[in-house]
Amino acid sequence: MEEHNATEFNDWCIGCGDFGILRSEELLTDELKLDYKNFVVVSGIGCSGKTPHFFPNKISGIHTLHGRALAFATGIKLSNPSMEVLVQAGDGDTFGIGAGHFVNAGRRNINMALLVHDNGVYGLTKGQASPTLHRGEKTKSLPKPNINDSINPIALALSVGYTFVARGFAYDVNGTKELIKKAIMHKGMALVDILQPCPSYNDINTNEWYRKRVYNLDIDPVVKSMDEVPQKINAAISRSYEWEEKIPLGVFYQNELVPTFEERLKENIPDYDVNYPAIQKIEEQGEANTVYEKLLQARKVA
Amino acid sequence: MRLSWMIGGAQGLGVDTSANLFGSAVAKAGYYIYGNREYYSNIKGRHSYFNVVIGSKPYRSISEKVNILASFDAETVFQHFTSVTDFLVYDGASEMVKAETIRSMEPEVTDKAVKELESNGYGTSIADVVQYLKKKDVTCIPVNYVDDINAVINNLKIPPPLASKAKNTIAIGTSYSLLGLKEDYLRAAIKEAFGKNDLFLNMNMLAAETGMKYAKAHYNLEELPIGDERVQIDGNTLSAIGKIAGGLRFQSYYPITPASDESTYIEANQIVQTTTGGSGGVVVVQSEDELAAINMAVGASLTGSRSATATSGPGFSLMSEGISWAGMNEAPVLITYYVRGAPATGLPTRSGQGDLKFAINVGHGEFPKIVIASGDHEEIFYDAVYGLNLAERYQTPVIHLIEKCLANAYSVLDMKTFKGPKISIERGSLSEGGEGYKRFAITDNGISPRAFIGKASIFYTGDEHNEAGHITEEPLNRLVMYEKRLKKLETADREIMEESMVNVYGDSENVILLWGASKGPALDAMEELKEKGINIEVVQVRMFNPYPKRYMKRLLSGKRRIIALESNYYAQGAGVLTENTGIAPTAQILKWTGRPILLDELIDAIEEVVVHGKTKVVLDGGA
Repeated sequence: MEEHNATEFNDWCIGCGDFGILRSEELLTDELKLDYKNFVVVSGIGCSGKTPHFFPNKISGIHTLHGRALAFATGIKLSNPSMEVLVQAGDGDTFGIGAGHFVNAGRRNINMALLVHDNGVYGLTKGQASPTLHRGEKTKSLPKPNINDSINPIALALSVGYTFVARGFAYDVNGTKELIKKAIMHKGMALVDILQPCPSYNDINTNEWYRKRVYNLDIDPVVKSMDEVPQKINAAISRSYEWEEKIPLGVFYQNELVPTFEERLKENIPDYDVNYPAIQKIEEQGEANTVYEKLLQARKVA
Repeated sequence: MRLSWMIGGAQGLGVDTSANLFGSAVAKAGYYIYGNREYYSNIKGRHSYFNVVIGSKPYRSISEKVNILASFDAETVFQHFTSVTDFLVYDGASEMVKAETIRSMEPEVTDKAVKELESNGYGTSIADVVQYLKKKDVTCIPVNYVDDINAVINNLKIPPPLASKAKNTIAIGTSYSLLGLKEDYLRAAIKEAFGKNDLFLNMNMLAAETGMKYAKAHYNLEELPIGDERVQIDGNTLSAIGKIAGGLRFQSYYPITPASDESTYIEANQIVQTTTGGSGGVVVVQSEDELAAINMAVGASLTGSRSATATSGPGFSLMSEGISWAGMNEAPVLITYYVRGAPATGLPTRSGQGDLKFAINVGHGEFPKIVIASGDHEEIFYDAVYGLNLAERYQTPVIHLIEKCLANAYSVLDMKTFKGPKISIERGSLSEGGEGYKRFAITDNGISPRAFIGKASIFYTGDEHNEAGHITEEPLNRLVMYEKRLKKLETADREIMEESMVNVYGDSENVILLWGASKGPALDAMEELKEKGINIEVVQVRMFNPYPKRYMKRLLSGKRRIIALESNYYAQGAGVLTENTGIAPTAQILKWTGRPILLDELIDAIEEVVVHGKTKVVLDGGA
């Protein structure tokens, strides 16, 4: 792993998959010329939540609450749609405590990307089972084998409206970088679920375990007309259930034909795209400039 | 002149619309109106009622006693007959209906009505109620709703279910006639309300004409001149308009009674114009829950938008973690907190003041938050603007408390109330960002110049952080950064005039100490008590954090009685006084039934305390 230029000391464990994801992001940030002027990273809580602080590039980063990164990101993006908003969250963050936000982000199809650092455990609290750990598995610090079934992030995302759904592998730095890039450039809500070995607590889904199984998907994920949607979603969901023997990586589904939330808002607020909330002037020399009298006039006693 | 009118009926049958219609007609004749709405957490069928006070000057309270009760179902009569003093308008065909047969009525309400009738030697039917009331000199006016509605059906060839909605308007017509005001005002109000739909217009017009024939003028109210323009408006709408005027550009919310009406109003009016000919838009997002609502609003605020959310107790509980994050990250955000009956779902559509200390103490950890509480409709508007200003001035969450009984009540107010001095916008200390910018730079007053996302490399984190916003657990940084945040509240305490945090009315050795919606009944009581030779002073606290401790000490020292008047069990507002000044109230008048404090019960209670020396009175008025 190359050394980072970050001024903040990176306190992830040696061998953590998060290093791979951060490296992918560093490369991509350079490649797309992203900096604080146009780019903000929003994260949740857990090891992945610290990502913005460790970024070597000059970005802005918002390290939010456990499970709530998508909610913060929604406010940021809708208030200032000119920013590229990249959300980083863990699997517990996203599919446990924040599952409601994950589902509803699909319904909105906001033009932003969510990267899930998916390692099957709650690392920072010493390795409890996360929602993506499969039933019957007993990772290192579990007192008993996991008795909950696991969530399938890909299938869940597809069923709730994500218009870009992909899976990466943290140690495939270039492949993951390309997926994140596609997710950022995609028009709509994008998920990249990144398989990320936790060397400290997940002794089942290790780097070696994944390396033996991962392969690149060989389907055409892109929806070219809306009547293809059921067939493309079915194909993607079906492939997303491959796990024990072979684990597919790559883009499962992409559909840019669904209007984004921003486009839907523009239907209601015609100049929303050029005069969004963050840049609206609300005063002139300290005095309110919003015309409100007509709202009162509408309630006039005549 | 103060006259009290009430209309009741099953929820979903247009009781609200009727009350607004009636109020609008009376307002056209130059009268001021204050109307309170009571309803169950229910879509259709449960008893709801609207109590409207008519005055030649503005009143801000309703009374237990009503001069006129307009009804079109038996339940309304059984629920309220003991309150009627002058007139009952009722369905003549319902005379045989007995209280025990009305299943939508809660058993306790039935028992109470039955007991009252039986103990006075009557049976339990509407006919018995009529006899009971006649004995008390109440005039009972039977309306033949069946024939009247049939006439509407035949005249306009409309289906019966639709025509039955005109019953309200018949009742309004009858009770309006009693006032002796020009009939044309009622016609004009109907035209205004239904003018866009010919069928509804004709139906209601016909119903009103029919209703007016049942009664003759009794009160002979004189028409009063309307000098300035007036508006007829409710608390939810005033908060919404205040926020829009104050530059709100992002609002997220999750549906909850009694807060949602504010957000839907903002969305309906989201396109705004500016005084310089520009335009703008308020983004309104209906979120998946209140966790999302607060955190979306905080996210938006980091980009520079004035942002807010609106909720009630259960939602506010869910917001507490997000509010803590906003406090830690010095993010301005306004939370409009519509207070209803709690704990848990409590009385979801009723009022109360049980959440004051929760609002003051919300969120884990110590961080500055500003809590303001509005006492009437005018204050709601200006406090909404003020809340947005305070949030940005001190870069911290502001909680604006509005009780349900103000939110859903409406007033007729002079338009000039809202055309006072220009509305000022204070965005606080801002920075253009750039290289080397530090979001949490240590300053003397604790306030760091704020740059928006996009203007600099900015870091935020819920963890303790250094000036740049990066995580650090180093103790000396913690010492300084923690103090910096809390210093902002000290700065606010220093900068905000304490006199502006308190309203004082009258001067007396007997002080009614209150906050929020108790203001209305207290001020009305003050005037009526004066006529009885009892002089009281009303002290209304408008800001709880920071608290006007020095001023309150000055105001209250040497007073003979300090009477806490609150809609909760513990007199929480008075508790905050004691914490801050050591001064404790000498008596309490409390109410926690979820109903607003009524003028007549309050007058009695104050007399109990001031004349008879009682130290605690618990109020229970209202159905």
